[in-house]
Amino acid sequence: MTVVAPAPGAVPSAAEASGRAAAALRRALPALRSLAGVVAVTVTVLFLASVVTFALGALSDSNPAAAALGETATAEDIARLDHEFGLDRPLVEQYATWVGNAVTGDLGRSWFTTIPVADSIRTALPVDLSIAALALVLAILIGGGAGIGAALSNGGVVDRAVTLVCSLLGTLPPFVIGMALIVVFAVKLQLLPAGGYVPVQTDPLEWLRFAILPALALSLDVAASIARQLRTSLVGELRENYAVGAAMRGFGRRRVLFGHVLRNAAGPTLAVIGLAIPLIIGGAVMTEKLFGLPGVAQLSLQAAEKGDVPVVLGTLLVTAVVVVVASLVVNLLQVLLNPVARRGSGATGAAR
Amino acid sequence: MRTLRALWRIPSARLALVVLLGVALLAVLGGTLAPHDPLHQYTDDVLQGPSSTHLLGTDYVGRDVLSRLMEGTRLSVVGAVEAVLIGAVLGVPTGLASAWLGPRLEWLTLRVSDTLVILPFTVFAIAVAGTLGNGLQQAMIAIGILISPIFFRVTRAAALGLRKVQYVEAAELMGATEWWTLRRHIWTKVLPNVAVTAAHATGAALLVVASLAFLGLGVTPPAPTWGGMLSSDLGYLAQQPWAPIFPALLMMATVGSLNLLADAIRDATGATEAPRRRRPTPPVREERRDGVPA
Repeated sequence: MTVVAPAPGAVPSAAEASGRAAAALRRALPALRSLAGVVAVTVTVLFLASVVTFALGALSDSNPAAAALGETATAEDIARLDHEFGLDRPLVEQYATWVGNAVTGDLGRSWFTTIPVADSIRTALPVDLSIAALALVLAILIGGGAGIGAALSNGGVVDRAVTLVCSLLGTLPPFVIGMALIVVFAVKLQLLPAGGYVPVQTDPLEWLRFAILPALALSLDVAASIARQLRTSLVGELRENYAVGAAMRGFGRRRVLFGHVLRNAAGPTLAVIGLAIPLIIGGAVMTEKLFGLPGVAQLSLQAAEKGDVPVVLGTLLVTAVVVVVASLVVNLLQVLLNPVARRGSGATGAAR
Repeated sequence: MRTLRALWRIPSARLALVVLLGVALLAVLGGTLAPHDPLHQYTDDVLQGPSSTHLLGTDYVGRDVLSRLMEGTRLSVVGAVEAVLIGAVLGVPTGLASAWLGPRLEWLTLRVSDTLVILPFTVFAIAVAGTLGNGLQQAMIAIGILISPIFFRVTRAAALGLRKVQYVEAAELMGATEWWTLRRHIWTKVLPNVAVTAAHATGAALLVVASLAFLGLGVTPPAPTWGGMLSSDLGYLAQQPWAPIFPALLMMATVGSLNLLADAIRDATGATEAPRRRRPTPPVREERRDGVPA
């Protein structure tokens, strides 16, 4: 009775609430739909990335027995170890277990050391992530500064200097820029160490001393593309009616730039940053080798030399996930900056 | 031919074409023109500066730097060109198909291209070397596959805009086959964009090949490449801080020329690097509900 009694009274309010919820839902629908679109794309991309990664492993002719025992491996050894690592099962089944385990954070064990791959990556990944993050900050600072400077002096000396430096930076592989930095700051000036690493948790200042050169080497390339894009969109936006109007109403150049134009020019620049994230993560490989950092790439390179397939696949998959997550963040920032996309109609365009 | 003549009239393109021709000659003839055997070690003259016998000096085991640069051109350039060709062969037809053959294929190809875009070159190349073996072919196929989304996107963007152009519709109404329209109208418009992309991509591929050589992937020592020479100079920066300058200069000249050429092709043919698809008009109904005048 007590269960039934409140029901008649609750019916109208429930209907009301459901009506309100429906209205709210209808209002949020475009945003939700675009969110669903982004999620669908992300999941598909992650799925395809895992398929590509797994396919590399499946196409490989290395096997744990040959890897661990070398030439002395007999056919029996190979069969036994293949069975132990589950390599004799059908490919679809192997893929399903591999992905299932990967989702729970288990990337298998190294064929050589039998250390869990996830553990090795967990110790190595912070090195890359911290340096990549520092590089991104530097790239935004340097590239943003240079782009704004170039746009302000549209056609002037600064503009031409920035354009020239950007074109020159684009013709060199990042490790050469790193080498130049080593020569200047470590060999000639002896200001900074040429290699080595201290984790950021143990001593942030010491970490910065070791991380600044690799991060700088990594950031210059990206800074160049940020500067170029920001200059182009700033110059374009400054010609728009609203910017001219603001200038006519007596706002100073700086006020127009920072108050009005920069926010509109930031969208395309964010897109460039999003595209640069794989470059930064991939470039981290180069700087790791150049500066002797104990990062994921060193792990992956050493594993690749030995033919340690689980480690190689694990690092590729984790890198892909890191890039996807970072790109997702950039996409969300873009949506936040752009009111049209925020209402949902533009986000489908972004997802495309 | 007409395009070539138009290109030649642009001074920066002329400079770029001359440099690229020189690099191409080096790539074909390099080894035979070299003054010394690029692999011979003059063990008495290790880490020498430029002199009359060794015009650009010697490296850490006494090999002639000039000869190594000339011989190294072949592997560097051939590798990059191969990767770009693979990328174009994979990317251009899929780009056309995705703009032409309906939304389902479009969605699939776009997702594949999204996936390939997020894989960093170096990490993917390491993974390929670790699973399929370390060699120039494997590395170049890997790079070619990762380059293909660039071609895919440029081709698709250029073709998309043309789908609804009046003369294409007119041709279809007059009974032209899809294949004929594609060849006659679409391809001639897409080609300049592909050429611009190819020039840019070749420059980028040269840098990637160099980066891979630096990591010890692709070309294996002692065969010389630009990237390999740069990375072996790294160990002797304290003794020879200027040594990386020669391969770096050669690389800058080549990649810079390719970028200049790309810009010149764009100017000469009126290709747009990445034609933007017109934004879909936002649904009016939703605009009004938010109280924003449409």
